[in-house]
Amino acid sequence: MTRTRTATLALFAAAAPLFAMPAAAHGYREQGKPVAVAASTLVVIPNRDWNQLAGKPGKKAERWTLDGEQLDQVTFYGGIAPGEPLLRERDRKHRPLPKLTRETLLAEVPELLEATYRTDRAIASFTLHDARPERFLGTDGIRFAYEYVDDDNLPRRGEAHAALVKGQLYMATLDAPRLHYFDRVAPSYRALIDSATLR
Amino acid sequence: MKKRARLVAAAMTLAALYPQPAAAQEHTAVKAGFALPANSGKTILVFRPAVRVGAQSTGGLFEPNGDWTDRARANLEAALAARQAALGNIVLAAPVAFGDDARLVEEYQALFGALSRAVIGYQFFRGNRLPTKKRENKAGVFDWSLGSGVSALPGAKDADYALFIYDKDAYGSTGRKILQIFAALGPGIPVKSGEHAGYAGLVDLRSGDVVWLNADLAMGGDVRTPEGAQKRIGQLLEDFPGSTAAPAAPAASTK
Repeated sequence: MTRTRTATLALFAAAAPLFAMPAAAHGYREQGKPVAVAASTLVVIPNRDWNQLAGKPGKKAERWTLDGEQLDQVTFYGGIAPGEPLLRERDRKHRPLPKLTRETLLAEVPELLEATYRTDRAIASFTLHDARPERFLGTDGIRFAYEYVDDDNLPRRGEAHAALVKGQLYMATLDAPRLHYFDRVAPSYRALIDSATLR
Repeated sequence: MKKRARLVAAAMTLAALYPQPAAAQEHTAVKAGFALPANSGKTILVFRPAVRVGAQSTGGLFEPNGDWTDRARANLEAALAARQAALGNIVLAAPVAFGDDARLVEEYQALFGALSRAVIGYQFFRGNRLPTKKRENKAGVFDWSLGSGVSALPGAKDADYALFIYDKDAYGSTGRKILQIFAALGPGIPVKSGEHAGYAGLVDLRSGDVVWLNADLAMGGDVRTPEGAQKRIGQLLEDFPGSTAAPAAPAASTK
């Protein structure tokens, strides 16, 4: 019985990555039209057209891109509550993701993202830098930058903006190759951040 | 028996959840307005192929294999050298780079690999196109770039274009092959064993724009053997712009 279940789970686990193509279509986020993101009250007004990638990386997360997630990726996290991870846990037993707690401080959010990336993407090289207070969603927030290399051997830069509102974490991140793409997409990402409000 | 029925049901659910993408898939594109006639006198800088070869675990993870990678790199370089004369125009081998220059080449090769995967996923595969790119796709626009930073690559100032070649091969492990057979015996869900991705691209060394790309996630030829590597390079450079029909073209030295 247990063995059968294990075998079934193994088949699922092994077969899942084979069908990476999402069945659903990607969303279109039109310039100037306010839109709620990550199944939350977080609303942004795009200053140019964006694509919302089909398939959510987490229950309260959503990804946008201009040229494909390999080249630029904006992720919104909408109201992560204490006890919840940022992303969906793909292997809860062997690779559990860190969770937000009631005690998590804003200054600890960069480490939460770092630990999440390290586990979720099996990243060995990740550097955090340049964390500083910055208003986000009309409240005290944090802005920080980071760099990492994951298994495609391509160094990427990241920038994140986060705020804790009523104990829940709201965050947006930009991840893009440090060659060419980060600087190309950063102004459009920052325009999204500037437009972000809670409904 | 009960066990098997359960597995079959599980696999069928999976198959229903993830319908197979339509087969229509392109793998070559040229930037609008780009043409490179044979013997045009333009110079093409050829970088050593970026190669990663390994095994694919039962669960589908890539496990690098240094020995296979070394063998494949040598085979692919030899096959490429044998074909360079047929590329037409003036072909220059990129200078051997050290330190920061070598890291820069490696990083651009990795960026080229990522860009190729984005093109395969969102431009070549019709059913998966990004909404903001749909109009461009309909008009046959191919607009992708590595950025003008490519002009800092070693050897760039002496050439008009750079040829990038990126190869990633993962050979299915025994466990993976067993899973493949098992899945086929059951409900017939297609489990792919191995990954054979090859990308070749011609990049304008002033703008960084990709002017020609040939990228496929299912390449032929076992790159661990010289014959297989020849086949792979042949596929990668199929319809290379400005290539000459006869292999013994008058192109300049490849050294």
